[in-house]
Amino acid sequence: MLIEYQSQRVSLWYFRLALVLFILQVIMGLWLSINYAFTLPQELVNVFPFSTAREIHTNVLVAWMLLGFMGGTYYILPPECGRELYSPKIAYAQLIIFVAAAVTAVVGFLFGWTRGKPLLEIPFPLNGLIVVAALLFIANVAMTIIQSKEKSALQWMLLGGVTFLAVMYLFGMPFYRNLNTDYYYWWWVIHLWVEGAWEVVTASIVAYIIMRVTGVDRKVVEKWLYVETGLFLFTGIVGTGHHYYWIGAPDYWLWWGGVFSALEPLPIVLMVVDTWMHVRERKNPIVNPLTWYYIVGLAIYHLVGAGLWGFMHTLPPINYYTHGSQVTVSHGHLAFFGAYALLNLTIFYFAMPRLKGINKYQDRLGKWGFWITTISMFLLGLVFGIAGILQTYLERFLDIGYSTAHLTMMFWFRVAFGVGLVFLAGVVITVYHLFTIKPSSIPAPEPAVTPAANI
Amino acid sequence: MTGKTARLIFWVGTLTSAAIFLWQTYDFHMQTPKFTHTDKLTEQVVAGKKVWHKYNCNDCHTILGFGGYYAPDMTKAFYRLGENNIASIVQHPEVMYKNSFRKMPQLGVSETESRQLVSFLRWVGDIENRHWPPQDEKYVQAYRLRETQPQKLDKVHLVLQACGGCHTFEHQGRNVGGDLTDIANRITYDRQTLINYMINPQSVRPGVAMPPQDVSPQTAGIIADFILSLKSTKEVSK
Repeated sequence: MLIEYQSQRVSLWYFRLALVLFILQVIMGLWLSINYAFTLPQELVNVFPFSTAREIHTNVLVAWMLLGFMGGTYYILPPECGRELYSPKIAYAQLIIFVAAAVTAVVGFLFGWTRGKPLLEIPFPLNGLIVVAALLFIANVAMTIIQSKEKSALQWMLLGGVTFLAVMYLFGMPFYRNLNTDYYYWWWVIHLWVEGAWEVVTASIVAYIIMRVTGVDRKVVEKWLYVETGLFLFTGIVGTGHHYYWIGAPDYWLWWGGVFSALEPLPIVLMVVDTWMHVRERKNPIVNPLTWYYIVGLAIYHLVGAGLWGFMHTLPPINYYTHGSQVTVSHGHLAFFGAYALLNLTIFYFAMPRLKGINKYQDRLGKWGFWITTISMFLLGLVFGIAGILQTYLERFLDIGYSTAHLTMMFWFRVAFGVGLVFLAGVVITVYHLFTIKPSSIPAPEPAVTPAANI
Repeated sequence: MTGKTARLIFWVGTLTSAAIFLWQTYDFHMQTPKFTHTDKLTEQVVAGKKVWHKYNCNDCHTILGFGGYYAPDMTKAFYRLGENNIASIVQHPEVMYKNSFRKMPQLGVSETESRQLVSFLRWVGDIENRHWPPQDEKYVQAYRLRETQPQKLDKVHLVLQACGGCHTFEHQGRNVGGDLTDIANRITYDRQTLINYMINPQSVRPGVAMPPQDVSPQTAGIIADFILSLKSTKEVSK
């Protein structure tokens, strides 16, 4: 049996919907690059402006990330707790509420129904529905953990991560009269998600998957998990300060924000090291090489996109010039893809074959998808990076004015559009492969350590 | 390392960071009135912030460097463009950017809303944020000098920073309304007409897209002299 508990099956719909949204996000991204690359007619801009396309691109991103995290949590929780989910019905109800709110929000955006606050545009009462869905999710996870006989550090870490995630969302909901306070708390959502709560969820899920596929001892994995999440939160919480350099806040943020955020790559380095060590010291043979591509790819891409790219412009003297330019776009794409899109795809490649009763799957097409998406996203990051450095240099060093500096963007965004098409092809291949995953004709090697021995 | 040490690292790391951060948050709230001049945060400014949100300006424009990177940063827009220009642009973007390679949507912003937006941007422009963004600091300096002692300004800088939001001069500034040297060689106005034109363009050329400029007649005179001097320089160099 590949699925130990029937209630793990609820996760399948989370994964499917997440994958559909992923494609929609990429298509919207291509449309954004067209906006930069060409002059669009005024009539078109009036009815479907860049701002609307951008809010769809970013909100769909958040939606499919959260669907992946929630589905992944539902998938790993039953075996981790040694019992069925507290309530599969709540899990489905929560999914329906979440998706209904997200779809209504996207349609609403097209008609100008928005809060006009980047990344958190979903208007009231739809954002209230998101909160309801999150509360149902947390209640379900918490009840499953509380009622389980087996207690583990990983369970609590996962519960802590998703609760932290949900609580932070609340800080983005009120209307703030003062723009500077508005953005102060905006970063409690955005930064403390991606460099706090999401990292905790990532570390927990990766720890679980590594433990399951390598057969490495639980004690070792959980020890790493504590140290990594400890460092993520130690550097990440005060590291929020690297967003407060230019909002009108006291001088000490330059130091606290700069020093702590410069340390943020450390836990990611640890993650790469521990993934690498666990692969080398694995007790079980590798059944599906592609799942491993994703696990190792996630660790390395996470370090490059979030760690290295973030570090490059986190110190105040550099950030003074790069803040609010295409350099941020480059970092944003590499970090979200490297850390979180790859995490979700790792979960999907780990769970979806098992949910279909497949142990070893055919992975030829999936490997194409892996290489095409990872390489083209890296190129996209480089193109945005070049555009950003050029923009910064022309606008802020040579001081030649925004529109002249941005004229050069047209060329680079035509390149970005081309690379984006390749990326879309890779995503479509990956999604198609995941939806139609088939058993491999090659027999799978026998595991040395059965999962049960680990619990 | 034992499991106990690992747990200790987690709790000490997380709680230390959270404690520092919460203290900083407390201090932030204590100091925000000073950094953002909350005494000037009137209802009109708040109404302007709501307009800013209503039309989702922030998903194309950055403000304080946050948001969409598709259009210029709005933190110091008040100093870069001035009240009337902002109001004209948001109400008639299709006219202002007719020849631009990038368009701004016509969103149906009313006159009242655009004035509220200006109040909001004026207040944002005064946030003490360490002179960011770097490229707009010259507009802030020029605005303050124009207000107090226009005669002390270098003429090129005065003109560029007052007019550079729409006009170019020697490849600097935003080319929305044409190059000043070209304009100087095209126009036939005398000094006084040019001054009238700047203060109320419609009185000289009805139907022209240029908005009325918020400059004193004295400053307008300095700018007019400068533009007219471009004409003669050009003729001499030929």
